[in-house]
Amino acid sequence: MSKSNLNGLWLLPVAAIVTPAYAQDYLTAEQAQKSIFSEAETYQPILLKLNEGQRDKIKALSGLRQRWEEQKVWRVEKAGKHIGWFIVDDVVGKHEFITYGVGLSLDGHVIGIEVMSYRETKGDQIRDVNWRKHLVGKTLTDPFKLDEDVPNISGATLSCRNVMDGVKRLLALQKVALTNG
Amino acid sequence: MASSKRMRPLLGTFVEVGVHSGEMPERSINAAFDAIETVQSLMSFHDADSDLTKLNQAGGKEVTLHPHSIRVLRLARAMTSASGGLFNCTVGGALIRLGILPDHGAGAGLSSGETRDIELHGRKARLKRAVHITLDGIAKGYAVDCAVRAMKANGVKAGWVNAGGDLRVFGDLVLPVQRREIDGSYRTLGGLQEASIATTSVRAVHDKTFPAWVFSDSRTPEAGTWSVLARKAWRADALTKVASLANPAERSALIERLGGKLAIPNME
Repeated sequence: MSKSNLNGLWLLPVAAIVTPAYAQDYLTAEQAQKSIFSEAETYQPILLKLNEGQRDKIKALSGLRQRWEEQKVWRVEKAGKHIGWFIVDDVVGKHEFITYGVGLSLDGHVIGIEVMSYRETKGDQIRDVNWRKHLVGKTLTDPFKLDEDVPNISGATLSCRNVMDGVKRLLALQKVALTNG
Repeated sequence: MASSKRMRPLLGTFVEVGVHSGEMPERSINAAFDAIETVQSLMSFHDADSDLTKLNQAGGKEVTLHPHSIRVLRLARAMTSASGGLFNCTVGGALIRLGILPDHGAGAGLSSGETRDIELHGRKARLKRAVHITLDGIAKGYAVDCAVRAMKANGVKAGWVNAGGDLRVFGDLVLPVQRREIDGSYRTLGGLQEASIATTSVRAVHDKTFPAWVFSDSRTPEAGTWSVLARKAWRADALTKVASLANPAERSALIERLGGKLAIPNME
Protein backbone atom coordinates (compact mmCIF):
# COMPACT_ATOMS: atom_id res chain seq x y z
CA MET A 1 0.00 0.00 0.00
CA SER A 2 1.02 3.59 -0.40
CA LYS A 3 2.63 5.00 2.68
CA SER A 4 2.36 8.55 1.51
CA ASN A 5 -0.82 9.11 3.47
CA LEU A 6 0.50 7.82 6.72
CA ASN A 7 1.57 11.26 7.76
CA GLY A 8 -2.08 12.16 7.77
CA LEU A 9 -2.06 12.79 11.47
CA TRP A 10 -0.88 16.35 11.70
CA LEU A 11 0.53 17.39 14.97
CA LEU A 12 -1.57 20.51 15.21
CA PRO A 13 -3.28 21.69 18.34
CA VAL A 14 -6.98 21.05 18.64
CA ALA A 15 -8.60 23.79 20.59
CA ALA A 16 -11.55 25.95 21.50
CA ILE A 17 -13.74 23.25 22.92
CA VAL A 18 -16.19 25.31 24.89
CA THR A 19 -17.28 22.47 27.10
CA PRO A 20 -14.71 19.82 27.89
CA ALA A 21 -17.15 16.91 27.97
CA TYR A 22 -17.80 15.37 24.58
CA ALA A 23 -21.27 16.33 23.44
CA GLN A 24 -22.98 16.19 20.08
CA ASP A 25 -26.48 16.96 18.92
CA TYR A 26 -27.54 15.10 15.79
CA LEU A 27 -31.25 15.38 15.20
CA THR A 28 -34.30 17.05 16.68
CA ALA A 29 -37.30 14.81 17.37
CA GLU A 30 -38.86 16.08 14.16
CA GLN A 31 -35.78 15.30 12.08
CA ALA A 32 -35.48 11.83 13.64
CA GLN A 33 -39.14 11.15 12.80
CA LYS A 34 -38.58 12.08 9.16
CA SER A 35 -35.43 10.00 8.96
CA ILE A 36 -37.14 6.86 10.28
CA PHE A 37 -40.59 7.23 8.70
CA SER A 38 -39.70 8.91 5.43
CA GLU A 39 -43.08 8.27 3.88
CA ALA A 40 -45.12 9.24 6.91
CA GLU A 41 -47.27 12.31 6.99
CA THR A 42 -48.39 13.26 10.46
CA TYR A 43 -47.08 12.82 13.96
CA GLN A 44 -49.50 13.17 16.80
CA PRO A 45 -47.77 13.65 20.16
CA ILE A 46 -48.99 11.73 23.19
CA LEU A 47 -47.60 12.15 26.69
CA LEU A 48 -47.89 8.59 27.86
CA LYS A 49 -48.36 8.16 31.63
CA LEU A 50 -47.52 4.75 33.00
CA ASN A 51 -48.94 3.49 36.26
CA GLU A 52 -47.07 1.18 38.59
CA GLY A 53 -48.78 -1.94 37.25
CA GLN A 54 -47.77 -1.08 33.68
CA ARG A 55 -44.19 -0.42 34.74
CA ASP A 56 -44.07 -3.77 36.51
CA LYS A 57 -45.34 -5.49 33.37
CA ILE A 58 -42.67 -3.77 31.27
CA LYS A 59 -40.05 -5.05 33.70
CA ALA A 60 -41.51 -8.56 33.56
CA LEU A 61 -41.59 -8.60 29.74
CA SER A 62 -38.22 -7.01 29.02
CA GLY A 63 -36.23 -7.63 32.17
CA LEU A 64 -35.51 -3.91 32.23
CA ARG A 65 -36.81 -1.29 34.58
CA GLN A 66 -39.00 1.52 33.25
CA ARG A 67 -37.49 4.27 35.36
CA TRP A 68 -39.77 7.13 34.43
CA GLU A 69 -43.54 7.41 34.66
CA GLU A 70 -43.91 9.48 31.50
CA GLN A 71 -42.70 8.67 28.01
CA LYS A 72 -42.85 10.90 24.93
CA VAL A 73 -44.66 9.01 22.18
CA TRP A 74 -45.90 10.06 18.74
CA ARG A 75 -48.63 8.28 16.87
CA VAL A 76 -47.50 8.12 13.23
CA GLU A 77 -50.10 8.36 10.51
CA LYS A 78 -49.99 8.23 6.75
CA ALA A 79 -53.04 9.44 4.83
CA GLY A 80 -55.11 9.15 7.99
CA LYS A 81 -54.02 5.57 8.62
CA HIS A 82 -52.07 4.61 11.74
CA ILE A 83 -48.74 3.09 10.61
CA GLY A 84 -46.51 3.10 13.69
CA TRP A 85 -45.12 4.75 16.77
CA PHE A 86 -42.19 7.07 17.34
CA ILE A 87 -40.76 7.16 20.87
CA VAL A 88 -38.06 9.37 22.36
CA ASP A 89 -36.04 7.86 25.17
CA ASP A 90 -32.94 8.56 27.25
CA VAL A 91 -30.30 6.16 28.42
CA VAL A 92 -27.82 6.98 31.12
CA GLY A 93 -24.68 4.88 31.14
CA LYS A 94 -21.48 4.91 33.10
CA HIS A 95 -19.86 7.18 30.54
CA GLU A 96 -22.69 8.45 28.42
CA PHE A 97 -26.03 10.16 28.35
CA ILE A 98 -27.89 9.48 25.13
CA THR A 99 -31.21 10.66 23.78
CA TYR A 100 -32.48 8.59 20.90
CA GLY A 101 -35.61 8.11 18.85
CA VAL A 102 -37.00 4.78 17.77
CA GLY A 103 -39.68 3.95 15.22
CA LEU A 104 -41.85 0.90 15.91
CA SER A 105 -44.25 -0.80 13.53
CA LEU A 106 -47.74 -1.69 14.74
CA ASP A 107 -46.79 -5.36 14.95
CA GLY A 108 -43.88 -4.59 17.27
CA HIS A 109 -40.85 -4.42 14.99
CA VAL A 110 -38.09 -1.83 15.07
CA ILE A 111 -38.21 0.30 11.93
CA GLY A 112 -35.23 2.47 12.80
CA ILE A 113 -33.13 3.98 15.57
CA GLU A 114 -31.50 7.42 15.43
CA VAL A 115 -29.30 8.92 18.09
CA MET A 116 -30.55 12.46 18.69
CA SER A 117 -27.90 13.60 21.14
CA TYR A 118 -24.83 11.95 22.57
CA ARG A 119 -22.93 13.06 25.63
CA GLU A 120 -19.96 11.51 27.32
CA THR A 121 -20.20 12.37 30.96
CA LYS A 122 -17.00 11.10 32.44
CA GLY A 123 -14.62 13.27 30.51
CA ASP A 124 -15.58 16.51 32.14
CA GLN A 125 -12.28 16.86 33.88
CA ILE A 126 -9.36 17.38 31.63
CA ARG A 127 -6.41 15.85 33.37
CA ASP A 128 -4.03 16.50 30.56
CA VAL A 129 -2.60 19.88 31.44
CA ASN A 130 -0.98 20.21 28.02
CA TRP A 131 -4.35 20.01 26.43
CA ARG A 132 -5.38 23.13 28.33
CA LYS A 133 -2.35 24.84 26.89
CA HIS A 134 -3.74 24.14 23.44
CA LEU A 135 -6.95 25.87 24.44
CA VAL A 136 -4.97 28.95 25.34
CA GLY A 137 -3.02 28.80 22.12
CA LYS A 138 -6.01 29.00 19.84
CA THR A 139 -5.66 31.78 17.30
CA LEU A 140 -7.62 33.02 14.34
CA THR A 141 -5.14 31.45 11.96
CA ASP A 142 -5.76 27.95 13.26
CA PRO A 143 -7.03 25.81 10.43
CA PHE A 144 -10.18 24.52 12.08
CA LYS A 145 -13.47 26.16 11.36
CA LEU A 146 -15.77 26.67 14.29
CA ASP A 147 -18.23 23.97 13.30
CA GLU A 148 -15.42 21.44 13.17
CA ASP A 149 -13.95 22.29 16.50
CA VAL A 150 -15.60 19.50 18.41
CA PRO A 151 -13.19 16.69 17.71
CA ASN A 152 -13.98 13.13 16.84
CA ILE A 153 -13.07 10.57 19.44
CA SER A 154 -10.96 7.51 18.92
CA GLY A 155 -10.64 5.34 21.98
CA ALA A 156 -11.85 2.44 24.00
CA THR A 157 -15.02 1.37 22.22
CA LEU A 158 -18.16 2.29 24.09
CA SER A 159 -20.86 -0.33 23.92
CA CYS A 160 -24.26 0.58 22.49
CA ARG A 161 -25.83 -2.01 24.73
CA ASN A 162 -27.63 0.60 26.83
CA VAL A 163 -29.50 1.83 23.78
CA MET A 164 -30.30 -1.69 22.58
CA ASP A 165 -31.66 -2.49 26.06
CA GLY A 166 -33.67 0.72 25.92
CA VAL A 167 -35.24 -0.36 22.64
CA LYS A 168 -36.08 -3.74 24.13
CA ARG A 169 -37.80 -1.94 27.01
CA LEU A 170 -39.77 0.26 24.60
CA LEU A 171 -40.97 -2.81 22.68
CA ALA A 172 -42.38 -4.08 25.99
CA LEU A 173 -43.86 -0.64 26.66
CA GLN A 174 -45.61 -0.81 23.30
CA LYS A 175 -47.23 -4.13 24.23
CA VAL A 176 -48.25 -2.92 27.66
CA ALA A 177 -49.42 0.62 27.03
CA LEU A 178 -49.97 1.41 23.34
CA THR A 179 -53.07 0.39 21.47
CA ASN A 180 -53.21 0.12 17.71
CA GLY A 181 -56.00 1.55 15.64
CA MET B 1 -20.94 24.40 4.01
CA ALA B 2 -21.94 23.15 7.41
CA SER B 3 -21.30 19.48 8.01
CA SER B 4 -24.22 17.12 8.17
CA LYS B 5 -23.84 14.17 10.51
CA ARG B 6 -25.82 11.40 12.15
CA MET B 7 -25.27 8.60 14.63
CA ARG B 8 -26.77 5.16 14.97
CA PRO B 9 -26.13 2.21 17.27
CA LEU B 10 -24.40 -0.36 15.03
CA LEU B 11 -21.51 -2.84 15.22
CA GLY B 12 -22.03 -3.03 18.98
CA THR B 13 -21.07 0.61 19.35
CA PHE B 14 -22.07 4.08 18.15
CA VAL B 15 -21.37 4.88 14.52
CA GLU B 16 -21.17 8.49 13.38
CA VAL B 17 -21.32 9.33 9.68
CA GLY B 18 -20.51 12.85 8.56
CA VAL B 19 -20.69 14.61 5.20
CA HIS B 20 -18.52 17.69 4.97
CA SER B 21 -19.11 18.50 1.33
CA GLY B 22 -21.13 16.79 -1.35
CA GLU B 23 -24.56 16.59 -2.88
CA MET B 24 -27.56 15.15 -1.06
CA PRO B 25 -25.92 14.42 2.30
CA GLU B 26 -28.99 12.63 3.70
CA ARG B 27 -29.02 10.04 0.94
CA SER B 28 -25.28 9.50 1.28
CA ILE B 29 -25.50 9.09 5.05
CA ASN B 30 -28.25 6.49 4.62
CA ALA B 31 -26.13 4.66 2.05
CA ALA B 32 -23.21 4.63 4.49
CA PHE B 33 -25.36 3.18 7.29
CA ASP B 34 -26.78 0.58 4.89
CA ALA B 35 -23.24 -0.51 3.96
CA ILE B 36 -22.36 -0.90 7.64
CA GLU B 37 -25.49 -2.91 8.34
CA THR B 38 -24.61 -5.25 5.47
CA VAL B 39 -21.15 -5.94 6.88
CA GLN B 40 -22.61 -6.34 10.37
CA SER B 41 -25.13 -8.92 9.20
CA LEU B 42 -22.44 -10.89 7.33
CA MET B 43 -19.60 -10.91 9.84
CA SER B 44 -21.16 -10.98 13.29
CA PHE B 45 -20.03 -13.91 15.42
CA HIS B 46 -23.08 -13.44 17.65
CA ASP B 47 -25.62 -13.60 14.83
CA ALA B 48 -26.70 -17.20 14.19
CA ASP B 49 -27.56 -16.31 10.56
CA SER B 50 -24.37 -14.48 9.55
CA ASP B 51 -21.99 -15.70 6.85
CA LEU B 52 -19.34 -16.10 9.53
CA THR B 53 -21.55 -18.39 11.63
CA LYS B 54 -22.41 -20.36 8.49
CA LEU B 55 -18.69 -20.96 7.94
CA ASN B 56 -17.93 -21.73 11.59
CA GLN B 57 -20.84 -24.18 11.85
CA ALA B 58 -20.24 -25.95 8.53
CA GLY B 59 -18.34 -28.84 10.11
CA GLY B 60 -15.53 -28.70 7.57
CA LYS B 61 -17.84 -28.49 4.58
CA GLU B 62 -17.46 -25.86 1.88
CA VAL B 63 -19.86 -22.92 2.03
CA THR B 64 -20.61 -20.13 -0.46
CA LEU B 65 -20.27 -16.68 1.05
CA HIS B 66 -20.89 -13.05 0.12
CA PRO B 67 -17.93 -11.39 -1.66
CA HIS B 68 -17.50 -9.04 1.33
CA SER B 69 -17.11 -12.02 3.65
CA ILE B 70 -14.57 -13.66 1.34
CA ARG B 71 -12.65 -10.39 1.07
CA VAL B 72 -12.44 -9.94 4.86
CA LEU B 73 -11.47 -13.59 5.35
CA ARG B 74 -8.63 -13.05 2.86
CA LEU B 75 -7.49 -9.89 4.60
CA ALA B 76 -7.74 -11.51 8.04
CA ARG B 77 -5.82 -14.56 6.90
CA ALA B 78 -3.12 -12.43 5.31
CA MET B 79 -2.80 -10.23 8.40
CA THR B 80 -2.66 -13.28 10.69
CA SER B 81 0.18 -14.61 8.58
CA ALA B 82 2.06 -11.32 8.12
CA SER B 83 1.91 -10.46 11.83
CA GLY B 84 3.20 -13.87 12.87
CA GLY B 85 -0.07 -14.54 14.66
CA LEU B 86 -0.12 -11.37 16.78
CA PHE B 87 -3.30 -10.59 14.90
CA ASN B 88 -5.10 -13.93 14.88
CA CYS B 89 -8.50 -14.52 13.36
CA THR B 90 -8.62 -18.19 14.45
CA VAL B 91 -9.05 -17.72 18.22
CA GLY B 92 -12.86 -18.00 18.21
CA GLY B 93 -12.74 -21.34 20.04
CA ALA B 94 -10.76 -19.86 22.92
CA LEU B 95 -13.18 -16.94 23.17
CA ILE B 96 -16.14 -19.37 23.28
CA ARG B 97 -14.43 -21.20 26.15
CA LEU B 98 -13.97 -17.92 27.99
CA GLY B 99 -17.67 -17.18 27.57
CA ILE B 100 -16.96 -14.05 25.50
CA LEU B 101 -18.39 -15.42 22.26
CA PRO B 102 -21.48 -17.63 21.96
CA ASP B 103 -21.48 -21.31 20.99
CA HIS B 104 -23.96 -21.81 18.14
CA GLY B 105 -24.06 -25.56 18.64
CA ALA B 106 -20.85 -26.96 17.18
CA GLY B 107 -18.95 -26.72 20.47
CA ALA B 108 -15.80 -24.68 21.00
CA GLY B 109 -13.53 -26.97 18.95
CA LEU B 110 -9.86 -26.03 18.84
CA SER B 111 -8.89 -22.98 20.89
CA SER B 112 -6.99 -21.54 17.96
CA GLY B 113 -5.67 -22.58 14.61
CA GLU B 114 -3.41 -21.56 11.76
CA THR B 115 -3.90 -19.68 8.54
CA ARG B 116 -3.75 -22.91 6.53
CA ASP B 117 -6.96 -24.01 8.27
CA ILE B 118 -8.81 -21.44 6.13
CA GLU B 119 -9.33 -22.52 2.53
CA LEU B 120 -10.72 -19.96 0.07
CA HIS B 121 -11.63 -20.51 -3.60
CA GLY B 122 -13.59 -17.83 -5.39
CA ARG B 123 -16.71 -17.31 -3.33
CA LYS B 124 -16.29 -20.59 -1.48
CA ALA B 125 -14.76 -21.04 1.94
CA ARG B 126 -13.94 -24.05 4.07
CA LEU B 127 -12.36 -24.63 7.46
CA LYS B 128 -10.07 -27.65 7.35
CA ARG B 129 -10.07 -28.18 11.13
CA ALA B 130 -12.56 -27.44 13.92
CA VAL B 131 -11.49 -23.84 14.39
CA HIS B 132 -13.77 -20.84 14.86
CA ILE B 133 -12.94 -17.72 12.90
CA THR B 134 -13.60 -14.39 14.55
CA LEU B 135 -13.48 -11.20 12.50
CA ASP B 136 -14.07 -8.86 15.43
CA GLY B 137 -10.63 -7.33 15.12
CA ILE B 138 -10.98 -6.34 11.49
CA ALA B 139 -14.64 -6.25 10.38
CA LYS B 140 -15.47 -2.99 12.13
CA GLY B 141 -12.72 -1.23 10.22
CA TYR B 142 -13.79 -2.95 7.01
CA ALA B 143 -17.35 -1.74 7.60
CA VAL B 144 -16.00 1.80 7.89
CA ASP B 145 -14.19 1.37 4.56
CA CYS B 146 -17.41 0.12 2.93
CA ALA B 147 -19.32 3.10 4.30
CA VAL B 148 -16.72 5.49 2.90
CA ARG B 149 -16.97 3.80 -0.50
CA ALA B 150 -20.75 4.15 -0.42
CA MET B 151 -20.48 7.85 0.40
CA LYS B 152 -18.01 8.47 -2.43
CA ALA B 153 -20.29 6.58 -4.83
CA ASN B 154 -23.08 8.96 -3.80
CA GLY B 155 -21.01 12.00 -4.67
CA VAL B 156 -19.62 12.94 -1.27
CA LYS B 157 -16.40 14.90 -1.76
CA ALA B 158 -15.29 14.99 1.87
CA GLY B 159 -16.54 13.28 4.98
CA TRP B 160 -15.88 10.79 7.72
CA VAL B 161 -17.11 7.62 9.41
CA ASN B 162 -16.39 6.86 13.06
CA ALA B 163 -17.41 3.42 14.32
CA GLY B 164 -16.73 3.58 18.03
CA GLY B 165 -13.23 4.96 17.51
CA ASP B 166 -12.41 3.30 14.18
CA LEU B 167 -12.34 6.51 12.21
CA ARG B 168 -11.67 7.25 8.55
CA VAL B 169 -11.58 10.71 7.01
CA PHE B 170 -11.54 11.47 3.29
CA GLY B 171 -11.47 14.45 0.97
CA ASP B 172 -10.51 18.02 1.65
CA LEU B 173 -11.10 17.94 5.37
CA VAL B 174 -8.89 17.91 8.44
CA LEU B 175 -10.79 16.33 11.30
CA PRO B 176 -9.61 17.08 14.83
CA VAL B 177 -9.18 13.85 16.78
CA GLN B 178 -8.94 13.19 20.46
CA ARG B 179 -8.37 9.90 22.18
CA ARG B 180 -10.35 8.69 25.16
CA GLU B 181 -8.00 7.11 27.64
CA ILE B 182 -8.91 4.22 29.94
CA ASP B 183 -9.49 6.64 32.84
CA GLY B 184 -12.03 8.60 30.79
CA SER B 185 -9.81 11.59 30.15
CA TYR B 186 -9.14 12.86 26.62
CA ARG B 187 -5.85 13.43 24.88
CA THR B 188 -5.32 15.34 21.69
CA LEU B 189 -3.98 13.33 18.78
CA GLY B 190 -4.19 16.03 16.11
CA GLY B 191 -5.98 16.52 12.81
CA LEU B 192 -6.66 13.55 10.58
CA GLN B 193 -6.79 13.85 6.78
CA GLU B 194 -7.11 11.15 4.08
CA ALA B 195 -6.33 8.49 6.66
CA SER B 196 -7.77 6.10 9.21
CA ILE B 197 -7.12 5.69 12.88
CA ALA B 198 -8.19 2.94 15.24
CA THR B 199 -7.70 2.57 18.96
CA THR B 200 -7.80 -0.41 21.27
CA SER B 201 -7.66 -0.20 25.02
CA VAL B 202 -6.29 -3.06 27.02
CA ARG B 203 -6.98 -3.19 30.71
CA ALA B 204 -4.65 -4.81 33.18
CA VAL B 205 -7.59 -6.75 34.57
CA HIS B 206 -10.25 -7.94 32.15
CA ASP B 207 -13.69 -6.60 32.77
CA LYS B 208 -16.53 -8.61 31.28
CA THR B 209 -18.68 -5.56 30.78
CA PHE B 210 -15.98 -3.90 28.69
CA PRO B 211 -16.67 -4.64 25.05
CA ALA B 212 -13.16 -4.64 23.63
CA TRP B 213 -10.93 -7.61 24.18
CA VAL B 214 -7.51 -8.43 22.95
CA PHE B 215 -6.87 -12.11 23.20
CA SER B 216 -3.86 -14.17 22.31
CA ASP B 217 -3.13 -17.78 23.10
CA SER B 218 0.58 -17.09 23.19
CA ARG B 219 1.13 -13.59 24.53
CA THR B 220 -0.34 -11.26 27.14
CA PRO B 221 -1.41 -7.91 25.73
CA GLU B 222 0.21 -4.90 27.30
CA ALA B 223 -2.20 -2.74 29.30
CA GLY B 224 -2.65 0.64 27.74
CA THR B 225 -4.29 2.44 24.86
CA TRP B 226 -2.98 1.69 21.39
CA SER B 227 -3.75 3.79 18.34
CA VAL B 228 -2.65 3.03 14.80
CA LEU B 229 -2.89 5.08 11.62
CA ALA B 230 -3.28 3.52 8.22
CA ARG B 231 -4.75 4.50 4.89
CA LYS B 232 -7.70 2.13 5.28
CA ALA B 233 -9.70 1.46 8.41
CA TRP B 234 -9.56 -2.35 8.28
CA ARG B 235 -5.78 -2.22 8.51
CA ALA B 236 -5.76 0.34 11.34
CA ASP B 237 -8.31 -1.81 13.21
CA ALA B 238 -6.29 -5.02 12.84
CA LEU B 239 -2.98 -3.35 13.67
CA THR B 240 -4.16 -2.05 17.05
CA LYS B 241 -4.25 -5.68 18.17
CA VAL B 242 -0.73 -6.21 16.85
CA ALA B 243 0.39 -3.07 18.70
CA SER B 244 -0.96 -4.29 22.04
CA LEU B 245 0.72 -7.69 21.68
CA ALA B 246 4.02 -6.74 20.04
CA ASN B 247 7.35 -6.79 21.77
CA PRO B 248 7.82 -3.12 22.85
CA ALA B 249 11.25 -2.88 21.24
CA GLU B 250 9.86 -3.93 17.86
CA ARG B 251 6.39 -2.45 18.07
CA SER B 252 6.82 0.66 16.01
CA ALA B 253 8.89 -0.97 13.25
CA LEU B 254 6.53 -3.95 13.05
CA ILE B 255 3.46 -1.74 12.67
CA GLU B 256 5.20 0.20 9.88
CA ARG B 257 6.22 -3.00 8.13
CA LEU B 258 2.56 -4.06 8.20
CA GLY B 259 1.45 -0.80 6.57
CA GLY B 260 0.50 1.32 9.57
CA LYS B 261 1.97 3.83 11.96
CA LEU B 262 1.69 4.06 15.73
CA ALA B 263 -0.06 7.26 16.76
CA ILE B 264 1.26 8.88 19.90
CA PRO B 265 -0.74 11.59 21.69
CA ASN B 266 0.66 15.08 21.60
CA MET B 267 2.66 15.19 24.83
CA GLU B 268 4.84 18.23 24.28
